[in-house]
Amino acid sequence: MTAPASPRAVAPAPGARRHPVADPGVRFRDLLAAEWIKFWSLRSTRWVLGLGLLLVLGGTLQKSLDAYNSWPTFRPMEKAHFDPLTTAFSGVTATLIMIGAGVMGALTIVGEYSTGLIRTTLTAVPARGRVVAAKATVMAAVMLVLGAALSLSTFAVSQAILSGRGVALSPGASGVPHVLVANGLLAPLSALVGMGVGALLRHTAGTVATCCAVLVIAPGFFKPTVHQWANDVYAWFPFYDWVNCLSQRHPRSAPALPTTTGSWIVFAVWPLVSAALAAIVVRRRDV
Amino acid sequence: MGRVIEVNGLTKRYGHVLAVNDLSFTVPPGQVTGFLGPNGAGKSTTMRMILGLNRPSAGTATIDGRPFSERRAGLRHVGALLDAGDVHPGRNAVAHLSALARGNGLPRRRVRQVLEEVGLAGAARRRVGGFSLGMRQRLGIASALLGDPPVLMFDEPVNGLDPEGVRWVRDLFRRLAAEGRTVLVSSHLMSEMQNTADRLVVVGRGSLIAEETVAEFAARGTRARVTVRTPEPARLAAALTAAGAVAAADGHEALTVTGLPAARVGDLALAHRIPLHELTTRTASLEEAFMELTADQAEYRAGDRR
Repeated sequence: MTAPASPRAVAPAPGARRHPVADPGVRFRDLLAAEWIKFWSLRSTRWVLGLGLLLVLGGTLQKSLDAYNSWPTFRPMEKAHFDPLTTAFSGVTATLIMIGAGVMGALTIVGEYSTGLIRTTLTAVPARGRVVAAKATVMAAVMLVLGAALSLSTFAVSQAILSGRGVALSPGASGVPHVLVANGLLAPLSALVGMGVGALLRHTAGTVATCCAVLVIAPGFFKPTVHQWANDVYAWFPFYDWVNCLSQRHPRSAPALPTTTGSWIVFAVWPLVSAALAAIVVRRRDV
Repeated sequence: MGRVIEVNGLTKRYGHVLAVNDLSFTVPPGQVTGFLGPNGAGKSTTMRMILGLNRPSAGTATIDGRPFSERRAGLRHVGALLDAGDVHPGRNAVAHLSALARGNGLPRRRVRQVLEEVGLAGAARRRVGGFSLGMRQRLGIASALLGDPPVLMFDEPVNGLDPEGVRWVRDLFRRLAAEGRTVLVSSHLMSEMQNTADRLVVVGRGSLIAEETVAEFAARGTRARVTVRTPEPARLAAALTAAGAVAAADGHEALTVTGLPAARVGDLALAHRIPLHELTTRTASLEEAFMELTADQAEYRAGDRR
């Protein structure tokens, strides 16, 4: 490169080498690849994902076999109320996934701050908003794949077992697809919420506790009440919406209960707001 | 092409604490500039503000005329080692550097090259958590070199390095500067800078104390001191003080004299018929000049009851 020196450039020192600094403008794809490397190069990532998958599938397997074995002893009432979808993916399953994914999402951010890596990261890529966007995209993508895998595999395993009793559902059966979608979205939703909380608190213990509280524990205590304002507040929590609406094949329609549309909106708003919050907070604060 | 770091009226306030106070200096290319000051003088905060990690309360810092935070591929503009601990201990060296390289669109082979350059090729696949402080410093230097940047900044880079490592970084800094790059190295030890730096920016309590060449700075320290031993220190002291020197008792039968050369001290003693047992000139080192300049500036001192 023999580009002429710009007017404001200082005269080079004797023997100075020319450094043609091209700023090709890092492509967002490169930032995604960087975050992808960071995500998978931690040994704990594979352990947590693998163990989580086994734990959830093991739970489903056990529940399905229980139902299969006890089926002859069920009373007609119990048989009539039997829900093959709950056998596949129970409230405990949802809790496990939400806490696991939430904590993983949180730790991708908190891990950067607690180790000091964030300073290295932001010195390499000063555009903070893009860094957070790349991190959130990688996190959401991995968790979407994981969530979909969990939703479909638990369904497949449980229905294969239950088909022996003639009560299995097909994936296309009425009311099933939306439950499978909702089950699959719990992981990416929780991971992004975790990132938002992590960016806000930047402290491991506090972040984990807050994630669990906001995602599962607090809404776990909510029950529809006669106070409509309380029902309206509860309806803003994804877990509550999942329990009372989206996990049901045929959600009941009642003023005290969350609506299907409202529940989907909550499922969209929480991760988006969380990701935006993470970006804003990381951009504003000193590191 | 020269790329200059320009710091202009930079100020950082944390609550009531003024960490950096209206600091202005320039770091030219082709030289090693030592950024010198006692611990807590605001060196790290200043470097973080130059890199856009901390937002200044007032003032500006630019690299090649633009704030660093406007750059997209940071590693191609500035290589920085702020704290060797700024890595995730769970990753190995290759993964850590690969992510950084990829995020700047740098080719994978750069990772191998810099690992070899800093002597970590053998530990490339080991987790950083198992690295010694010296190895982490080398890893930090490797990440700074990754983008072949025209500007380099190192915050206390020799901490934890063994003597061989210290020599290696000194040579590296000199070589980087000889290649025309801008090199800013902070330290709280003057002796560190004596053999490495061409220029010095000296700070204390967040304010600029001196910005000059090492030679100029050394000249401050050449205010010679003369040590005289005599059986009659009181008489000699009186004679010296009358001649305009400052004479301080230095143990039994000895004086430390500043303000007069040894020859004049000897002449005066002869004139007053005072016997001398020793007459020695002591030249202050750079270290002493630094200590003298920053004596009031150290934030915390031993025996400082506050």
